[in-house]
Amino acid sequence: MTALSLDMASTGQARTRARATRSSALGAVVVLLLTAILLLFMVYPVAYIFYGSLKPGGGLLGDTAGFTLANYRRIFASGFFTFTRNSLAICLAATAVSTFISVCAAYVFSRFRFRARAALFGAVLLGQMFPWIILVNPLFIVFARWGLTNSYPGMIFCYTAFTIPFSVYMLTGYLATVPKSLDEAAIIDGATRFQVIWRIVFPIMLPGIVATATYAFLLCWTEYLFALAFLTQTDMKTLPLGLYQFFGDDRVDWGAVMAASAVATLPTLLLFLPLQSRLASGLAAGAVK
Amino acid sequence: MRGERLFIAGMLAPAFVVLALFYAYPTLQNLLVSFTDLSLLGLKRGGNWVGLDNYREFLTGPEFRHVLFNTVVWLTALSVALRLLMGLGIALLLDSALLRRWRLSTIAKVAVLMPWATPPIVAVVVWRWMLEPQNGIVNAVLRNLHIVDDPVAFFADLRTVWPSVVMVIVWNTVPIVAVSLLASLQSIPDELNEAAALDGASRLQQFRYITLPFLMPTIVVLTLMSVFWTFNNFVYVWLATGAGPGTFTNVLATEIYIKAFVDFRLGYSSAVGIVMALVMAGFGVAYYRFVAPRELKEGM
Repeated sequence: MTALSLDMASTGQARTRARATRSSALGAVVVLLLTAILLLFMVYPVAYIFYGSLKPGGGLLGDTAGFTLANYRRIFASGFFTFTRNSLAICLAATAVSTFISVCAAYVFSRFRFRARAALFGAVLLGQMFPWIILVNPLFIVFARWGLTNSYPGMIFCYTAFTIPFSVYMLTGYLATVPKSLDEAAIIDGATRFQVIWRIVFPIMLPGIVATATYAFLLCWTEYLFALAFLTQTDMKTLPLGLYQFFGDDRVDWGAVMAASAVATLPTLLLFLPLQSRLASGLAAGAVK
Repeated sequence: MRGERLFIAGMLAPAFVVLALFYAYPTLQNLLVSFTDLSLLGLKRGGNWVGLDNYREFLTGPEFRHVLFNTVVWLTALSVALRLLMGLGIALLLDSALLRRWRLSTIAKVAVLMPWATPPIVAVVVWRWMLEPQNGIVNAVLRNLHIVDDPVAFFADLRTVWPSVVMVIVWNTVPIVAVSLLASLQSIPDELNEAAALDGASRLQQFRYITLPFLMPTIVVLTLMSVFWTFNNFVYVWLATGAGPGTFTNVLATEIYIKAFVDFRLGYSSAVGIVMALVMAGFGVAYYRFVAPRELKEGM
């Protein structure tokens, strides 16, 4: 009797175990299948940009022709150098100015408790949720009056202003991880605030600054709306606008479009992927904190 | 103490001068212009004061309801909901024991991040090419599999244009949601789920009573940010469809741009802008007051 019940119990266990293995095998297949579909959906379009940029017709299905650099040669022959140069000049300048201004503001937000602090920090954050489109009309009026349309200074101003909210937010988060006691010890030793910032805080948070500045650069590099409204002369256009030059009225040169897309995407891929874990943790920390 | 106050003011001044010049002053200017009939072609001459005429015309016109519906339902609600659901799914998948055991997590995560690293302009371009009716790869595959007989003009057909636009938006923006949720998922202590499993909680119960409450603060903040990003977005709709076919996919942001830079009616366009800002502000206040005051106060 006892033996029998024991036996029954063990078959029961074996049956549950078998069911568990079967369902976990099924689970594994489902997980792998979902992962495969997901990866195809996420990666394929990105890969297709680079593939298409190297094919004569931009990557037609069943295209058996070899790879070629003709698309790249064609876009650079028709002014793409100018777009790239404009983009680089405007974005680098804006990133430098915006990062410097943001480090100053973030330092104050992280180190001092003053009456208007929460309100001012909230005001900065508001900039991130702002409907930028409603700034276009009034800025256009002012820019037209002061001759700032089709100019580097006008665009640099826009891009500086539109990256500051994000940069201040990120940098304040990073600075919160640098202990305040470091500053206080240095000040007791006779250092001025500026020495503290440049000699002590800046080196420690350099990785954070680099990450923030890189992301600010990428925001500018891919910005389209302000460029569309304020840059109308062909020789002043930035890369995102230049990309749409290749959309003709009735015909699209897909090879050229893919090559231009590849040029626009390559820097973002190269800069972005090493950066993403730092960014994601910063954003998540900000969100959860 | 005075020295300290001076230091604080001096360090904040550059940021706030730039922000005031870029956000505050133009917003006020926009409000003033919205009461005039200023034309893009008559900037020097200036506009005449027309009071609330622009608002009356927009709010009582046929385009208002259409544009508002497109912006709120198609552009914002649908893409935010899909982004959060898909982001949560991806995060759970990347966090699954199986992928971790086979050391696939990292490579899958890098792959998932690729669309985030693709500029929005390029995302629209490549999808337009892949969905192109004649030579696009998607149509070719659909025809070879005999799912469709005639090529589908995804961005021109009224039945497919919104789903296509939303898909491009979700493709481009889901990674940030997925990665943020993944970071929160990984901060849940393993002991919690283990203890619950010992007490006989099913997987679903563990998800409902442990995982979801842990993710809630992140979800709340992501929802808010997502809604603002998407509602305010101009690029996706403009580049994918140019608000077309006709004005079928017109949203508030494209309406503002078209009225100002295609029809040259700066005054009217500014009024649409003020309406848009008010809708957004109304949503922000309601969300803060009713939906998630606790999480947001902790987050700020």
